[in-house]
Amino acid sequence: MSTAPLLEVAGLSCRFGGLVALHEVSLTVREGEIFGLIGPNGAGKTTLFNVISALTPPSSGRVLWRGQAIPHSRPDQLSRLGLARTFQNLRLFDSLSVRDNVLVGLHRFAASPLAAGLLGSATVRRRQRQLEQRALELLALVGLAEEAQLPAASLPYGERRRLEIARALATEPRLLLLDEPAAGMNPAEKNDLCGLIRTIRDHFDLTVMIIEHHVPLMMRLCDRLAVLNFGERIALGSPAAVRHDPRVIEAYLGSAR
Amino acid sequence: MDAGLLQQMLIGALLGLSVSLPLRCGQLSLATPGFFAIGGTVAALLSTRIPAFAGTGATSPLPALLLEMGLGGLLAGLLAWAIGGTVLRLRGIYLAIATIALVEILRVITLNLPFTGGALGIFGIPQPFATASGYAGFTLVLLALVCWLCARLEQLRLGRAMAAIRDDELAAACVGIDTAAVKLNAFVLSALLAGVTGALAAHFLNSWNAKVGSFDASITTLAFVVFGGSRTWLGPVIGGLVLTALPELLRPVGDLRLIVFGLVILLGPVLFPQGLITPQALHGLGHGLLGFGQQLRGYGHQLLERASGPRRP
Ligand SMILES: Nc1ncnc2c1ncn2[C@@H]1O[C@H](COP(=O)(O)OP(=O)(O)O)[C@@H](O)[C@H]1O
Ligand SMILES: [Mg+2]
Repeated sequence: MSTAPLLEVAGLSCRFGGLVALHEVSLTVREGEIFGLIGPNGAGKTTLFNVISALTPPSSGRVLWRGQAIPHSRPDQLSRLGLARTFQNLRLFDSLSVRDNVLVGLHRFAASPLAAGLLGSATVRRRQRQLEQRALELLALVGLAEEAQLPAASLPYGERRRLEIARALATEPRLLLLDEPAAGMNPAEKNDLCGLIRTIRDHFDLTVMIIEHHVPLMMRLCDRLAVLNFGERIALGSPAAVRHDPRVIEAYLGSAR
Repeated sequence: MDAGLLQQMLIGALLGLSVSLPLRCGQLSLATPGFFAIGGTVAALLSTRIPAFAGTGATSPLPALLLEMGLGGLLAGLLAWAIGGTVLRLRGIYLAIATIALVEILRVITLNLPFTGGALGIFGIPQPFATASGYAGFTLVLLALVCWLCARLEQLRLGRAMAAIRDDELAAACVGIDTAAVKLNAFVLSALLAGVTGALAAHFLNSWNAKVGSFDASITTLAFVVFGGSRTWLGPVIGGLVLTALPELLRPVGDLRLIVFGLVILLGPVLFPQGLITPQALHGLGHGLLGFGQQLRGYGHQLLERASGPRRP
C-alpha cells in the first residue's frame, strides 16, 4: 500500500461571489477509515464534497489523490479513479427502475462494441446477465432486492437514500462520499444505516467520508472527525478529542452569553 | 390504404425516431431535417450524375440504392460528429436554436451550390421500385429493423446512459458516464438515420430540392415526438405515422396542417407531458389486454359449463 494518504485537501478555498464557503481548509483522509464531517448548516460541508468530486472548481488550494494532483478532472474521470458519492438532495434516475439505477452505476464495466451489443452476441448477453446479477447483489446488500423492478421514483425516502448508496457502490469506488445519508430517517433507520456503512466499509475494503448532523451517531461511527464552521476547519481528530474541543462546543452551542 | 401515403407515413416514423434519439438523453436537437436533406442530396446527385448508380432509363438497381443510403447516412453522420462536440455544449433552448440555424445554413448552401439545381433542385431521380407499394414494402422492412435496433438500444449500456443523462446529467457524470461522448453518440446516430432516410425519400419523391430541410420540417418532425412521446421507440413511430397521415387526410382544408402541428406542440405537453406512448401506458395496455383475455376465458368457462349441463345431481 502506498504511503500517501488516499485523499489530501490542502489549503482549499471556495468563494461564491462575496461569500466564502470554504476558507483554507486542509485535511487528509487515510485509506480504510470512516471520516466524519460535521458542522452547522451552511458551514461548507457539501461545498467541500462538491470540490472533491469536481463539481465545483475551488478558488484556490488543491485536492490530491494518493499524493497526485488531478488536473482538469471531470466527475466521470474521478469516478473511474475510484471516487463515488451520494447527494444531500437525492439525485436518482427517477424514470428508471431501481435495478436499472444500479446498472447505470455499473456503466464502466458494461463496455462492449456497439454493433455486438445491438446484435446481442452471446458474449454480450452473458456479460449483461452477470451485471444484472451484480446489481441484484448490491440491492440485496442495502435491503432493496424486493424492490428491484419498481420505478425508482416510487420508493419512500429512506429507501431512496439506500438506493443511491447501492448505485455509488456499483462504480467500485475506493472512496465513498456520503452527504447526509441519514437525513429524514427515524432513529431505528439511522442505526441500521450505521451498521450498513460499517458493513460496506469492511466488505468492500473502502474509505468513507460522511456528512451527518446527528453528532452522537457520528461519534460512534467515525474513526476521525473534522468540524467545519463558516467555511473554516475548526477541529480535527478522534471523536473523543473533537467532543471536548472548546471551539466545537462554542460552534454548536453558540457563545455562552 | 394508398401505398404512396403509407410510404410517407413510414418515412415520418423514421424521422420521428431520428429526432427522438438526442431527446432520449435530454438534448433538444432540431437538426434532423438538415441531415435528411444531406442524405437525399447525396442520393439525388449520385443517381442522376453517375451512370453506375443511375441504371438503365428510369430504373436504378437496388444495390445502388443501398449504397446511396449508406453514403448519405455516412456523410450526415460524419458532419454530426464533426460539429457535435461544439454544438452539444449548448443546452436546452440554445441547442434547439443552434440546430435550427444549422438546418438553415445547410439549406442555403445547398441552394447555392453549382451542382444541386438551385431552387428547383434535382429532377428525374431514377426509381429502384416500379410502384409505391414496392417502396412501402422496402421502407417497412427498414423501419422494422430500425425499431428493433432502437428497442435493443434501450437495453444496452448506451441506451441506459442516455436515459440517465436525461433524468440527471450531473448524477450520470458522477457514476462515471462520459456525458459529452454519450450525447455525441446519440446525435451521430440520429444524423445517420436521417441521412439514410433522406436517400430513400429522394428516390421516392423523384425530385429533391433545398426546401426539404427547412424550419417547417424541424417543427413537423419535432411534433412527431412531442405527440408520440420519446421514452420508448414506439412513441416517435406512432407520432410519425399519425401526424404524417393527418394532414393528407385533411388535405381539403390545406393550411390546417400547420395549425394542427402548432396545436399539437402547444397542447401536447399540457395534456400528455410525456407524449401519447409512455412506458406506463404500455404497461397499462399490457395489463388491460391481459385482463380482457382473462374475462374472455371466464366467459368461455361459463359457456362450457352451461353447455355441459348442471354438474350437481
Ligand atoms: N453554488 C452556490 N452558489 C452560491 N452559494 C453557494 C453555492 N453552494 C453553496 N453556497 C453557499 O455556500 C455556503 C455553504 O453551503 P453548503 O456547503 O451547502 O453548506 P452545508 O452543506 O455545510 O450545510 C452556504 O452559505 C451556501 O448558501
Ligand atoms: Mg450540505
